[in-house]
Amino acid sequence: MSVCLKLSEATIKFGGLVAVNKVSFELKQGDLFGLIGPNGAGKTTCFNIITGVYKPTSGEIEFNGKQIGGTPSNKIASLGIARTFQNIRLFKSLSVLENVVVGGFLRHKTGLFGAMAYLPAQIRETEKLRAEAMELLEIVDLADMASARSADLSYGMQRRLEIARALATQPKLLLLDEPAAGMNPQEKEELNVMVRRIRDQFQLTVLLIEHDMRFVMSLCERILVLDAGTEIASGPPDAIRNDPKVIAAYLGQPA
Amino acid sequence: MKFWLGRTGSILLAFALCAGIQLLADQQSDFVQRLIVLAGLYVTLAVSLNLINGITGQFSMGHAAFYQIGAYTAGFIAMKFYAGAKLPPELWMILSLLTGAAVASLAGLVVGLPSLRLKGDYLAIVTLGFGEIIRIIVQNQPAIGGAYGLSVAPRFEMIWLVWLLAILCIAVCRNLLKTAHGLQFLAVREDEVASSAMGVNVTRTKVTAFLLGSAFAGAAGALLAHFEGFVSPKMFTMDVSFIIVTMVVLGGTGSITGATLAAIGLFFLPEKMRDLPNFPLGNLVATGIGIIIMVVGFRHIAASFHGKIVERVMRYLAILTLAVVVALVLGPIVSKVPTLGVPVEGAKLRMVVFAVTLIVLMLLRPQGIFAHHEFSWDWLRKVLRLDGAKKVPA
Repeated sequence: MSVCLKLSEATIKFGGLVAVNKVSFELKQGDLFGLIGPNGAGKTTCFNIITGVYKPTSGEIEFNGKQIGGTPSNKIASLGIARTFQNIRLFKSLSVLENVVVGGFLRHKTGLFGAMAYLPAQIRETEKLRAEAMELLEIVDLADMASARSADLSYGMQRRLEIARALATQPKLLLLDEPAAGMNPQEKEELNVMVRRIRDQFQLTVLLIEHDMRFVMSLCERILVLDAGTEIASGPPDAIRNDPKVIAAYLGQPA
Repeated sequence: MKFWLGRTGSILLAFALCAGIQLLADQQSDFVQRLIVLAGLYVTLAVSLNLINGITGQFSMGHAAFYQIGAYTAGFIAMKFYAGAKLPPELWMILSLLTGAAVASLAGLVVGLPSLRLKGDYLAIVTLGFGEIIRIIVQNQPAIGGAYGLSVAPRFEMIWLVWLLAILCIAVCRNLLKTAHGLQFLAVREDEVASSAMGVNVTRTKVTAFLLGSAFAGAAGALLAHFEGFVSPKMFTMDVSFIIVTMVVLGGTGSITGATLAAIGLFFLPEKMRDLPNFPLGNLVATGIGIIIMVVGFRHIAASFHGKIVERVMRYLAILTLAVVVALVLGPIVSKVPTLGVPVEGAKLRMVVFAVTLIVLMLLRPQGIFAHHEFSWDWLRKVLRLDGAKKVPA
């Protein structure tokens, strides 16, 4: 299996605070990889440097053999990295379907002038993107909500919509930031099945951040634990579960 | 084939509509003609600002500057080249329109660039400053008339072209919103980080919105210059920018329909008020009380009643009738009080009425008359069918 994403000693500092400190890991094509750690450990910041929201202070990020550190977000999306957000960032006043259509932006061939004139080619393209968006909504089980305003969806539905929107960019690597937050146990179970299904169906590599240990342990094949910006452990779920450093990070040092 | 038939039909319809407006206007007095032209220009200005403010969410308060740049560009090239060019008036106007639009959109680019770094209030301040800077620079250029203004020869009274531009502006905005491509503007308004993560080039989207919006304002300016035969910096003060922003907000930020209707309404309202007769102060007091009853009653209904739309409208009408009756009955009674019997000059109240209308509308419907909606037959059907009960997502 080829290497999909590789971080080598990625570091980012905000003033005196080292948010992510020399973090290195490697994702192979098709991996289901978990990133965990206590609050403030630097997990979301890690996502932000991978997706170009922040530029890493030092270190390298490689995606499919290409250096991507410091590349603007929209370029990174076009290379095939899509993400969801911890604090849901949907286009709130747009409909559920429109949210997913925006995700198809990278596949527009339509120019601005064509869109202004509303020519048949543009109408066809819009129809096609809407049809594709509809298919994605069926995958995340939101097809019957297509015309609802996205802000009106329940929390769990909004999280699923974010996944559909990310899939609309046709990514190779999908970053999920706390996809199960705010979901009830049954929804989490369904999400678990769904993530595996979309990974297989779209041949994705998945990197996810999650606080729910049971969810991460049952879904991910490998896990990396961050604490205060530094890697403290990595490996398969069973090894992580029993790692004394991880237990100490979550529960505190024994007296 | 069907598409092209439909498209040709709608273009012909637009031309027919403009020709109709021209024919209708020809029979009116100069004053009414001027109102019809200005209303058309304000529709263009409001709809084009709506593209920047409402659809793309970049709060710009300097729209008058683009209007001014278009007007002065048209005036300047007419002064330099019209006599030598020997073009038919229609062709000259279209060239002048395009030049005005091009120069204004260049200015739009200049303002669009800082907008990449600024948001909300900060951007509003910068654009406001930009508007004033342009006006003051023009005011101090003797070559283009300075504070006295620039006379633009020849005068063309092409009312049809004014409205054609307005229709074109509306059509372009509507088309953008109908295609998947145009969704990028809305996406940027809703969330820049998320749009960027979806591959949208946020920078380019914002600049495009500024370019397009200012181009239309510039074209409107060119038409104004040739219609009035004269331009001066006084015609493009901050007030003009404020009124355009008000039109957009009142119509419902982001709604093309709203911007269009609010532009026409807000433009004609103060003009109509010029004919208001004199009346005793007591009537004014009574009207105020009537308005308070209306606002309180409407707000109460909006907050507590969720029944069928027909019943809701009945309730609104009942409150409205009550308010009118109170105002009419109370008027003559309180006017008996000596101090409330003094006459008020109606015509002087027009800006007060304007302000009160704004306050009342914002109290009753802060999201604007049309909110985010657009007029379409489907939408109308949906509203009328709506049973009023709040939709609960399954």
